[in-house]
Amino acid sequence: MTATNSAADSQDVIVIENLNKWYGNFHVLRDINLRVKKGERIVICGPSGSGKSTTIRCINRLEEFQEGSLVVDGVEMIEDVKNIEKIRRDVGMVFQHFNLFPHLTILENLTLGPIWVQKKPKAEAEEIAMKYLERVKIPDQADKYPGQLSGGQQQRVAIARSLCMNPNIMLFDEPTSALDPEMIKEVLDVMVELAEEGMTMLCVTHEMGFAKKVADRVIFMDAGQIVEENEPNEFFNNPQNERTKLFLSQILGH
Amino acid sequence: MKEFQPIAARPAPIKTVGFTAWLRDNLFSSIPNSVVTLSVIALLAYYLPLIFDWAFWSANFTGTTEDACVKEGACWVFINAWSYQFFYGTYPVEEVWRINLTLVLLVMVIAASFTLPKSIRLKASITSWLLLPIVGIAILDGRWLGLEVVSTDLWGGFTLNVFMAAASIIVAFPFSFLWALGRRSEMPFIRSVSVIFIEFFRGVPVLSLFFMGSVMLPLFFAEGTNVDKLIRVWLVLIFFMSGYMAEVFRGGFQAVPSGQYEAADSIGLSYWQKILLIILPQVIKVSMPNILATFVMLFKNTTFLLIIGIPEVVQTLQTALSNSYWLGGHALEGYLFVFLVFWGSCFSMSVLARRIERQMNTDKRD
Repeated sequence: MTATNSAADSQDVIVIENLNKWYGNFHVLRDINLRVKKGERIVICGPSGSGKSTTIRCINRLEEFQEGSLVVDGVEMIEDVKNIEKIRRDVGMVFQHFNLFPHLTILENLTLGPIWVQKKPKAEAEEIAMKYLERVKIPDQADKYPGQLSGGQQQRVAIARSLCMNPNIMLFDEPTSALDPEMIKEVLDVMVELAEEGMTMLCVTHEMGFAKKVADRVIFMDAGQIVEENEPNEFFNNPQNERTKLFLSQILGH
Repeated sequence: MKEFQPIAARPAPIKTVGFTAWLRDNLFSSIPNSVVTLSVIALLAYYLPLIFDWAFWSANFTGTTEDACVKEGACWVFINAWSYQFFYGTYPVEEVWRINLTLVLLVMVIAASFTLPKSIRLKASITSWLLLPIVGIAILDGRWLGLEVVSTDLWGGFTLNVFMAAASIIVAFPFSFLWALGRRSEMPFIRSVSVIFIEFFRGVPVLSLFFMGSVMLPLFFAEGTNVDKLIRVWLVLIFFMSGYMAEVFRGGFQAVPSGQYEAADSIGLSYWQKILLIILPQVIKVSMPNILATFVMLFKNTTFLLIIGIPEVVQTLQTALSNSYWLGGHALEGYLFVFLVFWGSCFSMSVLARRIERQMNTDKRD
């Protein structure tokens, strides 16, 4: 375990410096620098293939990177299995396609982490699980299987599953992109509530309403680099970069 | 503004009702179909009475010797007289309860895997499955339990087929899973060893493997060690089966989306927790039809053991057919009996497998 870099503010829970990643010869992430303070809500947007998902997947080491440093919760992410598993417990992740475990009931999906990773007794894990199911407003679905739930319900279960691990940071990788319009709202409501409680959040999303409402900062990425970052009001009303303007005109223009 | 008015659901229209409609739809839907239907009826009308006559009306049921076969139909007396050998081989009659006990245990373990309460089912059934081969050998052989030792030369008949298949499948199952994992490993050594193993046992005929097990394997053992022939064959069946099953599992692994691995990683599960709790159950679920096919193949392949002189059921049948007191030519009855016994077992296995599939199918909305 190494301490955070001297320059880093002690409040920074994520410090990314000069992160570079290649898929073979393809340079996907180029000199990414990003600091996230505790309790900050960050929205990352950008065209597909811009590296936004890859960036947040590096944070819990679902992706490896070749250059630069990444410190999460004061722990440097190096190739050390113990470190990685420790960080993964503190960082919750919500995926575009929910990735619930189809062979387990909703309750079992939620208690898996607490029981096997945090070694909590089953009764306690179930109590925690029910608490979070109530927070995402579907306690009545506890004994069903993921395949019996709607997409919006599944995504809320996925959020609850991450919360059961009591994470310090939540990563959202396009959580509403696979949902019908009517279900997007129920998921966003849960995310807004979470943001209001002070959870540190990084969201890759194109829900600009969500960004305006809760984000402290909006980051725009293109071609593997951070093009622009700003607080939402400035970002939407007064973009500094031509590329950002073009992107905003395309996604807000209809 | 107009209010949204839902239309009440109506039952689906029924197009065809009754027996004649069913006949028209299924048997006489066109002229060629009607021709086929009528010819099949004609063939059945001609042959079924002949078959029934042979198997039942003109068949011999009572008696104990060849002399009882007086009528021109089937002589079921032959099957009856040899039924003990067909099922139990030359296992001593006073000890046969041990075979029956092992069979009962096998059935109980299968039943337990379905009926135990869900909270303990997985642990209890895995433990009992893994213990079963050891307990079975202990009961059948007897020396560990202080019973009279029954040498493996005396084991035989259809129960030997069942025991060899069951014991091989149980041991091969975890191994094949490891081979499949090895084949997907990122470590070159583990991967190449797995690939070589799998491809060897899939690429070599099982008959040659049996010969190797019975003739060549002893050459590799140290001088003076004498490993029982059945154990050598058991090893061959385990290797053969695990090579095939590994490929079945590999297909299953490929069907599990990468998101499942990522989700398991993201909640901090360790490698083995991820594999055993998340991936394996899904792999088994998608592989179930192929697992069953491989089981059935192995079970039927146990009849090849006759080639190396192990008295399984077909070998026993041939012994019976060449017995000098039973030279009346009962091959038809004998092989029909073997067909039915195997078909019955394999069909029950399919029924069981379909039940397991249904039990594991959690995708459907209720």
